[in-house]
Amino acid sequence: MGALSRIAPLLIVAAFWEAITRSGLVPTDLLPPFSTVVVALVKLATGGTLWPNTVDSVARAAAGFGIAVVVGTGIGAGMALWRGFETAAGPLVQAFFPLPKSALIPLVIVWFGLGDTAKTFLIFLGCLLPVILSTYNGLRGVDQVLVWSARSLGATRAAVIREVLLPGAMPQILTGLRTAVAFSFLLMVSSELIIATNGLGYLIGSYGDNGAYPAMFAVILVVTGLGYAADRAFVALSSFLLRWRE
Amino acid sequence: MSDTQTGIAIDRLSHRYVPRSGQPVTALDNVSLQVPRNSFHALLGPSGCGKSTLLFLIGGFLPIQEGQIRTASGPVLAPGPERGVVFQNFALFPWKTVKQNVLYGIGKRGIRGAEADQRAQHFIDLVHLSGFENSFPAQLSGGMQQRAALARTLATDPDILLMDEPFGALDAQTRRIMQEELLAIWRDTRKTVVFVTHDVAEAVYLADTISVMSARPGRICQRIDAGFNRRAETGVFKSPEFIGLVEHVWDLVRSEVDEARQRSH
Amino acid sequence: MSTQLSVRAPSAMRPPRFAWSALGTLKRFGSILAVLVVWEIAGRLHLVRPFLLPHLESVILRFYTDIVTGAFFWNAALTLYRAMVGFALAALIGVPLGILIGVNRLMRWFWDPLVSLGFPMPKIAFLPVFMLWFGVFDLSKIAMVAFSSVFVVIASTQAGTAGVERWVIWSARSMGAGRIAVFFQVMLPAAMPQILTGLQVAMPVALITTVVAEMLMGGAGLGGMMMQAGSYADSVGVFVGIIETSCVGAIAVTAMAQLRRRLLRWHPEFNPR
Repeated sequence: MGALSRIAPLLIVAAFWEAITRSGLVPTDLLPPFSTVVVALVKLATGGTLWPNTVDSVARAAAGFGIAVVVGTGIGAGMALWRGFETAAGPLVQAFFPLPKSALIPLVIVWFGLGDTAKTFLIFLGCLLPVILSTYNGLRGVDQVLVWSARSLGATRAAVIREVLLPGAMPQILTGLRTAVAFSFLLMVSSELIIATNGLGYLIGSYGDNGAYPAMFAVILVVTGLGYAADRAFVALSSFLLRWRE
Repeated sequence: MSDTQTGIAIDRLSHRYVPRSGQPVTALDNVSLQVPRNSFHALLGPSGCGKSTLLFLIGGFLPIQEGQIRTASGPVLAPGPERGVVFQNFALFPWKTVKQNVLYGIGKRGIRGAEADQRAQHFIDLVHLSGFENSFPAQLSGGMQQRAALARTLATDPDILLMDEPFGALDAQTRRIMQEELLAIWRDTRKTVVFVTHDVAEAVYLADTISVMSARPGRICQRIDAGFNRRAETGVFKSPEFIGLVEHVWDLVRSEVDEARQRSH
Repeated sequence: MSTQLSVRAPSAMRPPRFAWSALGTLKRFGSILAVLVVWEIAGRLHLVRPFLLPHLESVILRFYTDIVTGAFFWNAALTLYRAMVGFALAALIGVPLGILIGVNRLMRWFWDPLVSLGFPMPKIAFLPVFMLWFGVFDLSKIAMVAFSSVFVVIASTQAGTAGVERWVIWSARSMGAGRIAVFFQVMLPAAMPQILTGLQVAMPVALITTVVAEMLMGGAGLGGMMMQAGSYADSVGVFVGIIETSCVGAIAVTAMAQLRRRLLRWHPEFNPR
């Protein structure tokens, strides 16, 4: 009942969509009816265009995200734990604060050309900052009293990091990662719209350019659904990892 | 209401609520109480005994399910300025200064302009906050914020003052000072006060009468007369009479806590 | 190598504030200066192709030229105009809607799934839709910006409105305030910090959505200018575009922070005890 209640508004929107287009209130060349879009979606899914592009896109997003997680937690942790590193890396990280990563698209094209590397690099850059910040803040935010207790009980520095700091920082790190997941999707689509070679973003752009609007809307739905699914999956993963908390 | 001596008449009041998960809880079970005009009445009991719920019902914030509450102004149906409230976490408007907070209630009573200003200043001075009229709550200590809240409520000239553990969020020293100041103000203004607390000594010090409540379900198990508040002596806390009554009430409360624990097993 | 676990109080990372001690300044900007120095040396020694990494001096010179000729201001103004109008739209729609959702259970039931769907959604995917509906000039960009920013405004406003503590509302009611007075005189001011936070987060979103839309659609504005430079192999122009975009972003964020400071003078965050 709960799940149905949550989906109901979406169904209402879909019904509304169908109604205003079928009734002629909204011209179908501007907004194809929902049913037409669904048909197009099925055709795409069974036709052999959707799947390879989805794999391409998701693979790039995952790669960019994954590398950003590894590098970002490393940098964030380094800054949190070693003051020298923080003095060195801190200003650089803070300088990138106001810089919107999407603004780097033209530069990345200059460096890497119009291909997969450019897109993956952009996704990596976009995910990097939230991961660094949340790792840094998470580790710094662990109550110092916990650290002192562990040290006084004889824990080595490595053990303190492993058993006190990491678990304590985990909620904030996971929140940052969740943001990074959303950013990875965002940059995936942005980069594919502009560097239009393959992928879901490319499909959206190209269908739009060619007037294949039902297909365009269909792919947009796919992307929306993927983004939502990824977020939900991440929330589930976070709950699992944090199940020892209240 | 025929008896002009009664400030608040509570008649067979019951209240139930359903928490998010679990069985319906009876917060109050058939509670009846008469609070005489101009008296200081304490509701004392352990956590969960329903004392705050009772206060909120008198205040008109919770809908009455069973029973009746009447005051001199008629049956209680909704909140109103004749029943002023002071909350534990002050509930000041953080975006207003102290003076603006106090003026808010005054304005709602229809008083404006220079008269309102004077009135606000009078009550700010009364609670010893002179000089802090233009401070924001975030700039004040807990004790000062509670004084401001008290000034704000008193400025609306309520017949009845409802106080929900008002000093609970303050440190012990500030609490003691505030208790003395509250008594001084009460002696001057003689309002009907219903004061919720879990601190036995506080109840014995401040109240004419204490209703000791028990938990699960909430009921008044005993009424105890105190009356130390009418003596102007210092050193009340040290007097053997006082200490004796505190111990007596404490034993009552403790036995209620034990009983409640047994009942829930 | 010292691996001392620092025990100083945690300090969350924020955009830099200005502290005028010499050592402090050195610490704060040291590594940035180091990077700039390395950049300049790499240029002088021809270590990297100028196409990939133009000389620092060329970049600075072009930036200066852009300012003097007014090119910076024109592009920045156009991008800002689009971003601000879209942002304003998002605020005008999102705040009232968020309030409605916060106070009304039916509205909440209906809008909650939609907003939580919209949040992680890469809203930029709708750019071709807006191009279809509104053409390739300002209107489509503004609509895209509004769409991108509105979700976070709704979510924050909703949280702020729903999270107003009942004590403050009860106090007002016991002083004789009616429902409407409670709404305007108590709920809105109480929710303001969170509403402003939502607007503050939406601002950079608006800006970057504008830039990306401009990159895709071309024309004038910072995004279009950068793409054009890229297509003409003008990497100096691309670098300068990045600097200019950062400047505009920093100014916008600072302006919002100042607005917050002014509107929320009373808030504990500005009155530390």
